[in-house]
Amino acid sequence: MHPFGDLSAYLDGALSSEARASVQAHLDTCALCRTRLAELRGTARLIAALPMPVPSRSLVPRVSVPVWLAPLRTFSTFASGAAIFLFLASAVIAAFPRAQSAGTAAAPAPALSQPAVSGAGDSASVQPSSQNFQVSAPSGAPAPRTADTVVASATPAASANEIGRQDSVGVPSNAAAATRENSTAQPANPFAFLLSPWLWLVLAIAFAALSFAVGRRLRSA
Amino acid sequence: MRPELGGASDVLLDRARRGDARAFEQLALEIERPLYRHAARMLGHDDAEDCVQDALLSAWRSMASFEGTSFRGWVFRIVTNRALDRLRSRKRRPELPLDPPSENDDSVSWAEPIATGPEVADLAADREALLVVEDALAMIPADQRAALLLRDVEGFAYEEIATITSTEIGTVKSRIHRGRLAVRNILISRGWKGSAG
Repeated sequence: MHPFGDLSAYLDGALSSEARASVQAHLDTCALCRTRLAELRGTARLIAALPMPVPSRSLVPRVSVPVWLAPLRTFSTFASGAAIFLFLASAVIAAFPRAQSAGTAAAPAPALSQPAVSGAGDSASVQPSSQNFQVSAPSGAPAPRTADTVVASATPAASANEIGRQDSVGVPSNAAAATRENSTAQPANPFAFLLSPWLWLVLAIAFAALSFAVGRRLRSA
Repeated sequence: MRPELGGASDVLLDRARRGDARAFEQLALEIERPLYRHAARMLGHDDAEDCVQDALLSAWRSMASFEGTSFRGWVFRIVTNRALDRLRSRKRRPELPLDPPSENDDSVSWAEPIATGPEVADLAADREALLVVEDALAMIPADQRAALLLRDVEGFAYEEIATITSTEIGTVKSRIHRGRLAVRNILISRGWKGSAG
């Protein structure tokens, strides 16, 4: 009886010592089994010699993430929120141009209207204050009088400011001229672009997109 | 034939078990190519990449519950099971020949070599024989193919193959023998002279 069924296991060294010895003894006397064994050995070697297929891409799953990825998502989320807030704030500011230009016109207008007011004849409001400063510096004796005149000059100065403001509201062309003079007289604000709503809207969208992308990467790990 | 697992791999395995993703990626990198060639011979190239990637991801997710010592055997088990499942669901290629119900290996037939003659092609050249073997492997039953590849290509011992395929050693022995014999018969039928190796 040929132990054909054991030949592969014999080849692979998977037989018990008794079975192995039995097959060995048979092989010593059986040429057919020796041929069969050689054929099985040749088959096994051919299988082992098959060309190795290689994958076209990496098959290792990306389960590790850089440590800075989670903080980056947190930062982008907060930055997006802050940008949305600034977008809304700058949009509100941009929506009320009167308040903006009135605020900038009020500053130069009194300075211009004071000479105008004093030119109109109310010079007592301006000159006493300068005189009082000169007088009050050297001695303390005239102090009570200077205090009175300072208070007296303060109220005309305040009223002059009020006149100036009323002038700027009532005469928009003057205010426009004042702002134009103001803008040409002073250098342009380099940070004016920060008030642009579009800037903050774009930043808000960009940070939100970044946060979303990083979040997807974190979830896929 | 098989690379010896050094101490470095044991350290990596330990770290991966405790959730170190980079250690797992390193282990996966070392075993990526052998897994792919096994899946490719089982399934064909089309599905092999997805099969291996899914298997490695599945291994990572259940890393904490892995208690054995052979990461390689464990991952091969996942890939082999997935490949067999996919083949069963495919069913587009009828398996030839069918497993005979008899477990008596002596009843398995050995094809006789074709009578020699000038018209018989000589498959002494290994290159031609390898092509025949590649075709033959695709024709034998999937269970036999898996056992044969795990033994002859990957070098697993019979006990390890039994664990990988969740069977007994006797079944492994039978599958390897039948598979090898089937490939041998196909070779002989194509004019292989046999014992050249």
